[in-house]
Amino acid sequence: MKAFSTLFAVEFRLSLRDMNMPIFAAIMPVVVMLVIGMLFGGQPAHEGAGYTFVAQSVGAVSAIGICAGGAMGLPLVVSNYRYRKILKRYFVTPVSAGTILAVQVAVYTVYALVSAVLVFAVATLFFGFSFAGSWPAFIGSYALVCATMLALGMMVGGLAPNEKVAGVLASVLYFPMLLLSGTTLPYEVLPTAVQRAADLLPLTQGVKLLKATSLGLPLDQAIVPVLVLAAWAVMCAAVAVRFFKWE
Amino acid sequence: MEYAVSVHDLVKSYGGTRAVDGVSFDVALGETFGLLGANGAGKTTTLECLLGVRRPDAGSAAILGMDPRTQRKELFRRVGVQFQEARYQDKITVDELCRATRALYREADDPARLLARFGLGDVRAQAVESLSGGQRQRLFVVLALIPRPEVVFLDELTTGLDVKARRDVWKLLREMRQQGMTIVLTSHFMDEVEELCDRVAILCAGRIVFSGTVPEAVASGPFGSLEEAYLAYAEPADAADAVEPATPATAGTVATPSTAAALGTPATAESPEGGTRESL
Repeated sequence: MKAFSTLFAVEFRLSLRDMNMPIFAAIMPVVVMLVIGMLFGGQPAHEGAGYTFVAQSVGAVSAIGICAGGAMGLPLVVSNYRYRKILKRYFVTPVSAGTILAVQVAVYTVYALVSAVLVFAVATLFFGFSFAGSWPAFIGSYALVCATMLALGMMVGGLAPNEKVAGVLASVLYFPMLLLSGTTLPYEVLPTAVQRAADLLPLTQGVKLLKATSLGLPLDQAIVPVLVLAAWAVMCAAVAVRFFKWE
Repeated sequence: MEYAVSVHDLVKSYGGTRAVDGVSFDVALGETFGLLGANGAGKTTTLECLLGVRRPDAGSAAILGMDPRTQRKELFRRVGVQFQEARYQDKITVDELCRATRALYREADDPARLLARFGLGDVRAQAVESLSGGQRQRLFVVLALIPRPEVVFLDELTTGLDVKARRDVWKLLREMRQQGMTIVLTSHFMDEVEELCDRVAILCAGRIVFSGTVPEAVASGPFGSLEEAYLAYAEPADAADAVEPATPATAGTVATPSTAAALGTPATAESPEGGTRESL
């Protein structure tokens, strides 16, 4: 535990110093929430909807931090540490591969939580948002989306042969999910064909789940996204641990 | 006899080239052992196979009787390593790197005390990348010593250090040795090797061409110093030009490294002083 907590403290400080995650996981979701709030204010989400556009967006925008960590931060840090042989130095110490990965997962989980709290605070303070859904269902969904995305990031960082490939893969994952999964551009405004394609991204399923649970919408079809996400999480985590390479 | 390090017939190829070609040696507990050779002779590959960082194609290696790949966690509680290239996270400070390293061990030395002994007490708050080459080198020796290792591996430990810093590091290593630590080092500086090593092995093209004590190396041919002996073994082609082929003390029974290499005949011989040498 001492290894975990000390490494966590050091790695978290390093990521703060680097500034990428504070910008992409904390500042960006706040800006997106402010823009959506200012554009759509208290308008209903669509004609006859019982909730506002802002309320519909909160769950989705709160996933930006997850996306930044899982699709960008985690793959880059894991491949960077292997490429720069920092993992090789860890190999000749008693630390386990699991601890090293868990520390990074914990760092990005914290960013995801911070981004969610900030988004909820902005929506509540400036745009009169009040949570109408089920907290346990929302928190459970958030944890599942987080687990899936971070497992995906761990797998990509672990499999990428070098840092450049990891960078390309991270971009290929990050930008489509950021734009098409409903975290920034509302999913509802996308053309149907694009929606179909976006449905294949795990984060789209996650965002649907977050929206439904934050709005208190019926969850009769929630089982599909839950199973899809859980399958992704288990598969990616298994691959990441199985194929972990120190060098 | 129990050995701190035991290497048997280690082979490792990259592509078609054999970087390490059947290397065997043992290091006794408490001994300081030097692995010598030119750049590309296979020192680092030997060390990396021995440490389990690389998987050897053939042969075996054990440290403190343990397999570095299957008993990694248990083994590296008792072993410290300084790699040739210092690796660290971007923007990490000396203090953070020491704390992160300290936290990996249950039992460990106080990093602050080690930093002070290596003259790094004043730079604790600085970023590692802002240190001078010599300071960084000493920092990575400190990191290798944090677990209070029974065996420490130091790959080119004083490369980049100024004269005073080298002497300071030697002094500290001698103290560690007196406390019973086994030291395995690689070095390009023969004065350092003479100063520190109980025994050496000289690598040439992935094979050990000499192993024995420093006096044995010097006495194994018409060499005036360890450096001359080293050059004859490690750079046989050059040495053949520079040094007249040696006349062995017991003529006819010992093939000199340069003549053996020139003839291309395998030869293994026991020199009168007890050092073993194997030539191509």
